[in-house]
Amino acid sequence: PLSSAPLQDIRNTVGNIPMEWYQDFPHIGYNLDGKKIYKPIRNKDELDMFLEKMENPDYWRTVQDKMTGADIKLTDEQVELVQRLQKGQFGDVNFDPYEPAVDFFTHEVMIHPVTNRPADKRSFIPSLTEKEKVSKLVHAIKMGWIKPRKPKDDTPTYYDLWAHEDPNSILGRHKMHVPAPKMKLPGHEESYNPPPEYLLSEEEKLAWEQQEPAERKLNFVPQQFRCLRAVPAYPRFIHERFERCLDLYLCPRQRKMRVNVDPEDLIPKLPKPRDLQPFPTTQALVYRGHSSLVRCLSISPSGQWLVSGSDDGTVRFWEVCTARCMKTLPAGGVVKSVAWNPNPTICLVAICVEQSVLLVNPCLGDKLLYGATDQLLESYEAPEEERVQPVQWVTATTEEHGKGIRLIVQHSKALKQVTWHGKGDYFASVVSDNSNMQVLIHQTSKRWSQNPFRKSKGLVQCVLFHPIRPYFFVATQRYIRVYNLLKQELTKKLMTNCKWVSSMSIHPGGDNIICGSYDSKLAWFDLDLSTRPYQLLRHHKKALRSVAFHKRYPLFASGSDDGTVIVCHGMVYNDLLQNPLLVPVKVLKGHALTLDLGVLDVLFHPTQPWVFSSGADSTIRLYT
Amino acid sequence: GNAGAVTASCARRYAVEDVPFSVPAASETTDLSHLINKLLAAGDADHKYVEFDFLINGQFLRMPLVTHMEMENISTEEVVEIEYVEKYMAPQPEECIFHDDWISSVQATEEWILTGCYDQTARIWSLEGKSIMTIAGHTEVVKDVAWVKQDSLSCLLLSASMDQTVLLWEWNVEKNKVKALHCCRGHAGSVDSIAVDWTRTKFCSGSWDKMLKIWSAVPTDEEDEMEEAANRPRKKQKTEQLGLTRTPLATLSGHTEAVSSVLWLDAEEICSASWDHTIKLWDAETGHLKSTLTGNKVFNSVTYSPLCRRLASGSTDRHIRLWDPRSKDGSLVLLSLTSHTGWVTSVKWSPTHEHQLISGSLDNIVKLWDTRSCKAPLYDLAAHEDKVLCVDWTEAGLLLSGGADNKLYCYRYPATASDIGA
Repeated sequence: PLSSAPLQDIRNTVGNIPMEWYQDFPHIGYNLDGKKIYKPIRNKDELDMFLEKMENPDYWRTVQDKMTGADIKLTDEQVELVQRLQKGQFGDVNFDPYEPAVDFFTHEVMIHPVTNRPADKRSFIPSLTEKEKVSKLVHAIKMGWIKPRKPKDDTPTYYDLWAHEDPNSILGRHKMHVPAPKMKLPGHEESYNPPPEYLLSEEEKLAWEQQEPAERKLNFVPQQFRCLRAVPAYPRFIHERFERCLDLYLCPRQRKMRVNVDPEDLIPKLPKPRDLQPFPTTQALVYRGHSSLVRCLSISPSGQWLVSGSDDGTVRFWEVCTARCMKTLPAGGVVKSVAWNPNPTICLVAICVEQSVLLVNPCLGDKLLYGATDQLLESYEAPEEERVQPVQWVTATTEEHGKGIRLIVQHSKALKQVTWHGKGDYFASVVSDNSNMQVLIHQTSKRWSQNPFRKSKGLVQCVLFHPIRPYFFVATQRYIRVYNLLKQELTKKLMTNCKWVSSMSIHPGGDNIICGSYDSKLAWFDLDLSTRPYQLLRHHKKALRSVAFHKRYPLFASGSDDGTVIVCHGMVYNDLLQNPLLVPVKVLKGHALTLDLGVLDVLFHPTQPWVFSSGADSTIRLYT
Repeated sequence: GNAGAVTASCARRYAVEDVPFSVPAASETTDLSHLINKLLAAGDADHKYVEFDFLINGQFLRMPLVTHMEMENISTEEVVEIEYVEKYMAPQPEECIFHDDWISSVQATEEWILTGCYDQTARIWSLEGKSIMTIAGHTEVVKDVAWVKQDSLSCLLLSASMDQTVLLWEWNVEKNKVKALHCCRGHAGSVDSIAVDWTRTKFCSGSWDKMLKIWSAVPTDEEDEMEEAANRPRKKQKTEQLGLTRTPLATLSGHTEAVSSVLWLDAEEICSASWDHTIKLWDAETGHLKSTLTGNKVFNSVTYSPLCRRLASGSTDRHIRLWDPRSKDGSLVLLSLTSHTGWVTSVKWSPTHEHQLISGSLDNIVKLWDTRSCKAPLYDLAAHEDKVLCVDWTEAGLLLSGGADNKLYCYRYPATASDIGA
């Protein structure tokens, strides 16, 4: 209720704002005309206030109107209202909260209802919103978003102490077991009756006593007793046990680390054979005609003709591509070795028969070439002074000339092998002898032979010229010696690790040698690498008879008494850091075993990846 | 199950209506043959039983229908068109001509057979196997022979030998006499192959010395000068000489190994196969190398069919390979025919049929092939007892093969015209 209206309408227009905002201003707001309403002048001090409180009997009913700042004296009705509100009574004096209730509707069920409205439809059909909610829940259950309550698990749970322990750590703990260091076993000096040399002499005993206990070699003095019965109780027993226990738990022990490596991982990965083609895979031709075992093979530099020597005393010349025997030369003895001159401008074959080397012009191939070869041989003029030679050079008789034989180099002993130098003028022959005359080097154009070695270094098995450099390889039973022909000195001695070398062959690059041995091993030497084999291959089951390198393809082959030829891929890299790659690629079978002998010689075609093998079954086979 | 419906088509002579049939999937060529014959008998009362061969998408049917279709990835649900042709009759053996030594080469015409032999002679035989002429003159094995010209009075023929010469012979048919007209010198190795060009005036020879040489095949009275004659003993040369010396018109070099086989593709293109694993095509006019087909095995023999314009090569493995000489990329093998078990020494296309060829191998067997069946040959002719070295096929339908068993076998084979568009 507003204060009683004054004369002047001084209604404040500032609205319902905290009046403190006008505290520092002289006015307290604005009237309807926009004029300032000034605060009533208050110049009462505390004293005046007190006096007024004491003197003014209406002071208790005076309140200040905050809006105007004026003092208002409350009327009696207003005071009464305030007092009623303070008591919690209704403001209106006339309002009676306790009027008696009028019972409009009786609690008793009447025969005639008050309303006869039929029941709502919604009271008997299911609620749509509820249905929606339920279907949402059902969908959620179906989709697995809401899980039905799980049945309670009644099994009692126990705490697994070791559940989270790493199994490896347990194993590791077992692995970490370090056995106790073993005690030293008692020696003779601890015997009750040691040999006299173990007993200390007086000086030694003195020295022992003067030594620090830690420095003493023995921590006791050996004593001698007459018999075991006389040995007293050992006084230091407890002490020793105690020291041992101290040792066991105080001495740090170290685990020896053992590396666990799968041995398979250490084997280098080899490429698959079919990635290394071409190499011979199947038998293509069989050269039949010999009647006894075929010991040796050689091929013309062009690859058109093949020559073979046999125990039936003949040398046969074959056309490679048809296996046609073009010529047969009766040699008059077992043919141990044949060698076609590697020089493509000379048509000459060296044949070892018993004690002589026959130089044969097969008259095959280019007419001009073999004509020129004959001319070359005929153009020899004997030197005026007779020279002393270890062998005899004999010109063939007319009859022999007709067979193709041009020169005969007669040795004093039976021959084993003949091999040509790459240029085709020199050849070397090996005699089975134990003297220093085993190896001879001959020069065809001058008909001159010499013995390069002063001393015999053992039974020479085979010899070989280096394809490029002036080196000469001599294989004895266990070693291959490399001689420099220019400097006339031994350059290298290769240890074969074999018991008995049978054959060797040199890579056309000249830095690698393979050698086969009768103890069924094949050794590959890298001459730049070492004097020991780079690899020892043990693929054959029986003795190796022959090994050969291909001139163009990275292939080498070995023939063995087990009747097989094994062809291997032998890649030599120009890069010095990369070791040769040796992969066995094919086992070629075909030769029948005869007299426990299988393959006697293997030979590669000079241009094609084909390998020939001659066998004890008197055939030669070509594999392509 | 049923292999869907099948329509069949054939040459006019044995045509049936173009109606799809449902055929059991397990049926083989004999069953299909019976079916066709029944159809034909229904249409034509006096029809005689004919055996047929069947082709699906250009491949001969050699196994039950369903297996073939599985292998070729043909759906059994669709209508499959099967062509059928009259089954080729097996070649009938006619003659076996005995020689004294291995037969290195053979070339036959309508009247005579010319063979080269390892006993250093060439021989002329009648088709009945009667020896007509033995031509001796070479000092080494005769490696190849070829007819140059034939008429009723005299024939010109060539023989190439390991003695590095090719001899041009004139054979007087009436008097039955041969005369060496020219001795072609110039090769420095065994002459392994000769081929006469289409105009019959030139021939090409391939030799072990890696060279191809082109010579004139026209007989003249003049002798060419030999350059190296000077450093030979005059007397010796005269006594050796047979006929007038002839020098090559051109030399084609480019092979790095021996040349094993030469032939003329057309009037001015030469094809040569070599041991250096290549087949080279040369321009005969300029002598330039035109293209190279590279294989990975030594080539023994090559043959060309103008009908299908394909080269077939036999090499030192079991396969016969077909090549397209016109392909630019060079080394594409179109097809491999594999059934031999040894080196294929000799191949020859049929002169009349574009799909058929014959091959001889070191496994002693001569095989007759249809390129539409590359796994199995049409017929194996297993008469030889040793290596087969040469085969030939004449237009008259004569198959010839000679080998290391000194025998030349002749087979009569019906000269079937090519059945394309059947």
